Amino acid sequence: MLATIDPTPREEFIAGSREVAPSLVGTIPFGLVVGIASVAAGLTPFEGVSLSVLAFSGIAQLVAVQLMAAQSPLVITVTAALIVSLRLLMYSAALAPHLAHLSPRWRWLIAYLMTDQSFAMTVRRYGEPGDRKDKHWFFIGASMTLFWTWQLAVVVGVLAGAGVPASWSLDFVVVLTFIALLVPVVRTRADFAAAIVAATVALATTGLAYRLSLVVGSLAGIAVGLVLDRRHWRRA
Amino acid sequence: MSTWLAIACVGLTTFLLRASFIVFADPQRFPRFFRQALAFVPPAVLAAIVAPGILLNQGRFDPSAGNLRWIAGLVAIAVAAVTRSVMASIVAGMSVLWFLQWAMG
Repeated sequence: MLATIDPTPREEFIAGSREVAPSLVGTIPFGLVVGIASVAAGLTPFEGVSLSVLAFSGIAQLVAVQLMAAQSPLVITVTAALIVSLRLLMYSAALAPHLAHLSPRWRWLIAYLMTDQSFAMTVRRYGEPGDRKDKHWFFIGASMTLFWTWQLAVVVGVLAGAGVPASWSLDFVVVLTFIALLVPVVRTRADFAAAIVAATVALATTGLAYRLSLVVGSLAGIAVGLVLDRRHWRRA
Repeated sequence: MSTWLAIACVGLTTFLLRASFIVFADPQRFPRFFRQALAFVPPAVLAAIVAPGILLNQGRFDPSAGNLRWIAGLVAIAVAAVTRSVMASIVAGMSVLWFLQWAMG
């Protein structure tokens, strides 16, 4: 048995903040883009920041403001935000066993702060040997650093966005952001088929009101991916 | 008013997804089928967002060289495939779009 001393909460917090620091290079411009896109879609700066504090998810925020700009009914906006955020459900299931010993108050806080980045770093850290009782402070350190960086970037974005003329086509930054997120997640043939079908169906249904094409296209793509992947889940 | 309702509902939705297993449910009860479907959410959703953003020109399907966003989007896809960098893809796509707008303008 190794006589190692558990890191203190403070040490865990600092380690988390350090770990997340390099990825802030991506967080800041993305937050700016989301802030700019929010006001470009017709939200007031205060509404844009409120959405950011409540949702704390760049992709959900972008999708929501686009649909709100298209005057979509509430149920469409929420359904689209739900679909693009489904991955959070997966993260929640993966982290839950590591957090079961914590009080409900802690678990509520950790749930609120969970993002792609904090999840990715935390599962890696929790996969390391040793069972440190204060390891949730690592998550808090990483997440708080991300949270404040993100919210400040969004605030700057909504304030700056109000002054950018439409001729600069800054709305296209949103599409480019999604392109950069899309390309790395297309790894298998089933992924590729899901993407192509989703794109085709979304284009074919653009006549539908309220950007319903986003929801229809996504579901079609997911369905095709599942069908192509069937052998895989039968075997397992 | 409807804006605030949408903001509240979107916020609640993302929170409930995050809290699902951490606060409420047992992850053992996560159905396999659903886990499988989740794997296809990113490629499908992102493609459904991207395609109309680059292939529609004033609301119509336009895969021609005259559709500047389509050209800029293709460049961004190539840059994303090579660099895997969000920043590089944005810079490349916007540079191409601005250049084409200026050259055509």
